[in-house]
Amino acid sequence: MGEGSVLTRRRRARAAAAAPAEGAPRPALLLGSVAVIATCGLLYELIAGTLASYLLGDSVTQFSTVIGVYLFSMGVGSWLSRYLGGALLRWFIRLEILVGLVGGASAPLLFGLFAHVGSFRVLLYGLVGLLGTLVGLEIPLLLRILQGRLAFKELVARVFTFDYVGSLLAAVIFPLVLVPRLGLVRTALLFGALNVVVAGVSLLSFEETRPYRRRYLALIALSLLALGTGVGLAERIQRYAEGEVFQDTVIYAQSTPYQRLVLTGNHRGELRLFLNGNLQFSSADEYRYHEALVHPAMQDRPRASRILVLGGGDGLAVRELLKYPQVQHIQLVDLDPAMTKLFRSNQLLRELNHNSLHSPKLTITNADAYAWLRQDTARYDVVLVDFPDPGNYSIGKLYSTAFYQTLRQRLRPGGLVVVQATSPYVARRAYWCVVHTLAASGFSPVPYHAYVPSFGEWGYVLAQAQPGTWRPDGGPLPAGLRFATPQTISEMRRFPPDMAEVPTDINQLNNQALVRYFEEEWGPYGQ
Amino acid sequence: MSLPRRQFLTQASAGLAGTLLAGLVGSVPGCAPARSAVRGQLRGAGHALGHRLRDLKSLPAATRTEEIDLLIIGGGISGLSARRALHELAPARQALLLELEPGVGGNAASGHNARTAYPWGAHYLPLPDERDAELLAFLQQAGVLTGYDPATGLPHYDETMLCHDPAERLLLHGHWQAGLVPEVGVPAPDRAEIARFLALIERLRRATGPDGRDLFRLPLDLSSTDAATRPLDAETMAAWLARHDYHSEYLRWYLDYSYRDDFGVPAAQISAWAGLHYFAARKGRAHNAPPDAVLTWPQGNHFLAEALRHQGGAGEIRPNTLVFSLKETTDGRVEALAFDNATQQTTRLRARQVVLATPWHVSRHLLPAAPALAPLHAPWLVANLTVDAYPGGTGQPLSWDNVRYDSPALGYIDAEHQALRGFETEGPYSLTFYWALPTDPADPIAARRHALASTYEQWLTLVLTELDLMHPGLAAQVTAAELWVWGHGMVAPTPGYVWGPARALARQPHLGGRVHVAHTDLSGVSVFEEAFHQGRRAARAALGSPAS
Ligand SMILES: Cc1cc2nc3c(=O)[nH]c(=O)nc-3n(C[C@H](O)[C@H](O)[C@H](O)COP(=O)(O)OP(=O)(O)OC[C@H]3O[C@@H](n4cnc5c(N)ncnc54)[C@H](O)[C@@H]3O)c2cc1C
Repeated sequence: MGEGSVLTRRRRARAAAAAPAEGAPRPALLLGSVAVIATCGLLYELIAGTLASYLLGDSVTQFSTVIGVYLFSMGVGSWLSRYLGGALLRWFIRLEILVGLVGGASAPLLFGLFAHVGSFRVLLYGLVGLLGTLVGLEIPLLLRILQGRLAFKELVARVFTFDYVGSLLAAVIFPLVLVPRLGLVRTALLFGALNVVVAGVSLLSFEETRPYRRRYLALIALSLLALGTGVGLAERIQRYAEGEVFQDTVIYAQSTPYQRLVLTGNHRGELRLFLNGNLQFSSADEYRYHEALVHPAMQDRPRASRILVLGGGDGLAVRELLKYPQVQHIQLVDLDPAMTKLFRSNQLLRELNHNSLHSPKLTITNADAYAWLRQDTARYDVVLVDFPDPGNYSIGKLYSTAFYQTLRQRLRPGGLVVVQATSPYVARRAYWCVVHTLAASGFSPVPYHAYVPSFGEWGYVLAQAQPGTWRPDGGPLPAGLRFATPQTISEMRRFPPDMAEVPTDINQLNNQALVRYFEEEWGPYGQ
Repeated sequence: MSLPRRQFLTQASAGLAGTLLAGLVGSVPGCAPARSAVRGQLRGAGHALGHRLRDLKSLPAATRTEEIDLLIIGGGISGLSARRALHELAPARQALLLELEPGVGGNAASGHNARTAYPWGAHYLPLPDERDAELLAFLQQAGVLTGYDPATGLPHYDETMLCHDPAERLLLHGHWQAGLVPEVGVPAPDRAEIARFLALIERLRRATGPDGRDLFRLPLDLSSTDAATRPLDAETMAAWLARHDYHSEYLRWYLDYSYRDDFGVPAAQISAWAGLHYFAARKGRAHNAPPDAVLTWPQGNHFLAEALRHQGGAGEIRPNTLVFSLKETTDGRVEALAFDNATQQTTRLRARQVVLATPWHVSRHLLPAAPALAPLHAPWLVANLTVDAYPGGTGQPLSWDNVRYDSPALGYIDAEHQALRGFETEGPYSLTFYWALPTDPADPIAARRHALASTYEQWLTLVLTELDLMHPGLAAQVTAAELWVWGHGMVAPTPGYVWGPARALARQPHLGGRVHVAHTDLSGVSVFEEAFHQGRRAARAALGSPAS
């Protein structure tokens, strides 16, 4: 295995750097610090490699180059150690503080500056080189400090034992504990602080540090304070970095088991929600999207009292539904509890959805829509299906004939389903595939679309359980709508030639035709 | 199919750490890939109990006697199908089924973990031949077949049971390609040879013999008796391939892979007739799926075993019961001695008619003067791994069947592939590995003995090494591994087996025409369809025979 041989070479580089030096007391303590600094040393390398592949992609290249530069710099550091003379312990303390600061700051710096610097790679390799050099100095220096105290073979055996143990520890806890629990930024800062603590312990344990102890203690305290502040700010640093990517200010960000939720705001008071980096809505024009989703179906349903909403944990479709007094019960099923919780609790979002998620008419269930639907026994007049776009094989199952057939059994006689169906302009075949799939599942589909500036032309399908039960000019619309009027609704059903119907396959679980269309058509847009 | 970034992050780093660790450990030659603590145990079909057949004296004498109308011995697919057919054709008659294991299913057994059920053996059924009315009727009763299209007349299958897309991927030249037929980076001459072979199969699929029957058909006894095709049973598939100028290593790998997957042994060990039958007898069609579709369930064919059981009436099924002796009595009964492993007591069962649905190495012990049929059974390892990280890689994402080119193993199935769920999980993933263990036809016992003597640790090392070759670093993410060793997997159609005299003899009724054998060993090709019809044939014989 490639990395395996790299690791062995690195050890040789360290061993070769052992050089004679004067004696020093307390070998046990210093040996203990070998394990600590070895753990820290390997961690910085792992952090830089992971960050680089995170930000730049192509993990094999990023890891190889980062490891290469790091190891080479360690060699440079080892070689440079010969120029350090005089009070070696003092050098060691200085070195540990420096390693702690540079190592600790590495992740926040790389994250924070990614969007700003002209060439990120210069920064990356510069930092990795600097860190490698500093870390390369550590072991040769310690060997020299310890040399007089132990027989040479003992010395080498013990130092390297602790060195290896530390590295193993790092390699194990990094993926298993540190990344999932702390994240990269906090991990870097925390282990930076550990290096500084090693400096502190060495400072306090050796008599000969007396003359400069006070000055260094202050320095150490300051360094720890800086790193500690960083830990406190870690979430903000990460958010700031994402803010650079998302342009606006990140107001809220959370990773859930299902997705990453990021909410941004700008000076115009516009809120945007991103799920896994994909725009879900902008408060500036979401009313267009949601009015088009809800009103064409509801305007003709004076007796529609039971409504099911699948997806739509933002409560915006529910807001529109609540404008109809005949609606008595709305069942909302959204996968992610974090999503419904956010839209129930955040003040800005509650203003946006008119507090709809607190309506007494509403029941919220957090569950996978497919699993939930298969055990549900109730029947509905209207079902709104507002799932994410069919960008992977799992979500693709929610657009299959099997799913729609299950859904059909949940409708009351004359019931309607509305499905958001991606852009008929960008993904024409994907859109018509949804229409044809609904038809193949026994529905009578009515395709329509609306223009939502943030998204462009957006497609919906209104699917009737029995043909001819929906009329475009049904009943009156609620007051105060900004987009849907009888006239816009009838225009929505006209498709210009560039979005007109095309033949497609039917999306089934065993062919996932839709996911393939969607990928091909959205692919060029970098989805 | 991008993973959530966070998930990617954890994996990238975990993968690296795994690799680093593997590097450390790997510097010691012959060492296993890095791994964390793995839970699990080694199981197998009850060989201990089964092998007591060899030492009959260790079994107690009968303490009671029962009079039985119809007795079925063995609760695999053949036995369950016989039970269902008996119930269908003679609902008023009583049938008792005895099974060695704690549950029915035989090779179609299944297990489950906290997340999902998974197969321990047989796991899929290709679309059946639409002329196979009996099988289709069963599938319709089981809800697998939901109806017929009025226009085309083709069957419509429950979409949730058709293998979901993406179905198969092959790791070839470091890239996961779609499908198992090697394509990506395969040189043009090889591709041409593969195309030539597949075109031949397409012709054979439609070909009929002078007797008007299909040359190749399932169940195989319905195949043509054509004098030109039957001799293919005498030579090996490997010899036939060489004779017809098929030399491409990619084609040969694909064929060996397919045969190992269904028969446990490669082209060199099966007859050419069986090798061609494997492909050319598949002619299923459906209204809502392409001809190469397969039906599958999280618990594999145990789903079908359960459906057979449900449709088999209320007749008793007695598990944990070893039948160790059969003999004809003077008053026109068959007397079976059955040892109950729970109570440790033996019962004498006096039956009018018996369906013997056990593998031949068992039946041979029970039938005096049994014909000299000698089925070759490769031992198998099936391993269900719980893995904490996503088994990705470049190219096609995780699929139902995931195979590595040139691997000694047969790849793994994603047990949750058929889950009806609309989001990508973060794991853990439940992967079922299949491994037909190499068997020397001259000494099959050696392979079996070796398989049964190997320890949990040894098997685990083998499986994790294979996993690491498919997904570097992933072995470190395995938290549980449940292993199952089949001492006798399924029968291999070795040259002369299918159309030789021994199989024809063995299929005849035994013990005064009251014992009717039913097992895929009596077909030579071990697939669900054969077992299903073996059971029906034996049931009909039991009912129709004058002595009944
Ligand atoms: C690992 C593996 C994977 C496979 N995958 C597939 C697949 O995907 N698709 C497919 O179609 N086929 C598959 N097969 C083939 C499978 O063998 C057949 O499909 C079918 O299940 C065979 O059924 P059977 O009844 O003929 O035999 P068995 O399953 O062997 O049934 C025999 C039964 O008899 C019982 N028995 C044995 N001795 C005694 C005794 N003395 N007293 C009482 N009971 C006894 C056994 O416990 C067993 O239950 C697979 C086989 C294996 C081993």
